[in-house]
Amino acid sequence: MASHGVRPNYLAIWGWLVALMFVGLAASFLPGTRALAVALIFATAVVKALLVVLNYMHLKFEPRLIYAIAIVPLLFVLVLLVALFPDFVFHH
Amino acid sequence: MAISAEAHATPSIPAGKMGVWWFLASEIMLFGGLISSFIVFRLGSAGWAGEAAHLSVPIAAVNTLVLLTSSLTMVQAFAMAERGDQRRLRNYLALTILLGLTFLGIKAYEYTSEIREGFTPGTGIFWSFYYTMTGLHALHVLAGAIVNFSLYVLVGGSLRNSHRVELAGLYWHFVDIVWIFLFPLVYLT
Repeated sequence: MASHGVRPNYLAIWGWLVALMFVGLAASFLPGTRALAVALIFATAVVKALLVVLNYMHLKFEPRLIYAIAIVPLLFVLVLLVALFPDFVFHH
Repeated sequence: MAISAEAHATPSIPAGKMGVWWFLASEIMLFGGLISSFIVFRLGSAGWAGEAAHLSVPIAAVNTLVLLTSSLTMVQAFAMAERGDQRRLRNYLALTILLGLTFLGIKAYEYTSEIREGFTPGTGIFWSFYYTMTGLHALHVLAGAIVNFSLYVLVGGSLRNSHRVELAGLYWHFVDIVWIFLFPLVYLT
C-alpha cells in the first residue's frame, strides 16, 4: 500500500463530527424561523459529510477520477430532486 | 510501435478502490433517490412534523454518536493496517463491528417500541418512508458488519490482504454519511 505521507488527525476529525452533531441538535431548538433552523441543520450535515469523505475516505488524496465518481451521482440526485418539484411540491 | 516510457506517468488507481467507488456511486443514487422522494413528498404536503414527533431524538442521537465513533475506529483500523500492526488492526476492527451491532440493537429497540405504539410501515406515508429508509440503511450496516467480521478473520492469519481494510472502510464511511443525512432529515426537521 503506497504511503501518502501525512494522514489527517482522525481523532480531531471525530471531535469535530461530534461537536457538529450537537450544533445540529441545538439548531432544532433555536427560536426564530423554521427555515433558518432547517438550513443550519442541513449545513452541519453537509460539513460533517465533507469531513468524513475528505478525511476518512481520503478523497483529499485521491486522483480527480475518484472525485468525479463521487460528485457526478450527487449531481444526478440533485437533478432528480428538482425535476420532481413541479409534480409534488407545486402540485401539478 | 514503440510505447514511450512516459506513457503511464500517472499512477493507476488500484482496481479494488475503483470498484468500491463505482459501487458507492450506485449507492448514492439508491439512497439519493429515496431521500429525494422523501423531501419532495414532505415539501408537497403538510402535517408530517406531527408524525415525526413520535420518534425519539435522544435515542437516534446516541445512535448517531455510535456510528460516528465506529467510523473513527474503522479508519484507525486502516491506519494500523498501513503500519502493519496486526494486533491493533484486529482490535479496531472488533470495535467497529461491536459499534455496528450496537447501532442495530438500538434500531431494533426503536422499531419494537414504535410498532408497539401502533406505528407500522402501513400506518401512513411518513412511516412508510421511515421504515424503508432506516431499514435499508440498517441492512447496509449489517452487511458492513459481516464484511468487517470476515476481514477480522482474514487478517488473523497473514496481513497479505490488509489493503482490503481500506476498501471496507470506504463502504463503512459511506453508510455513516447516509445516516448523517437521514438523522436530521427524519428526526430533526
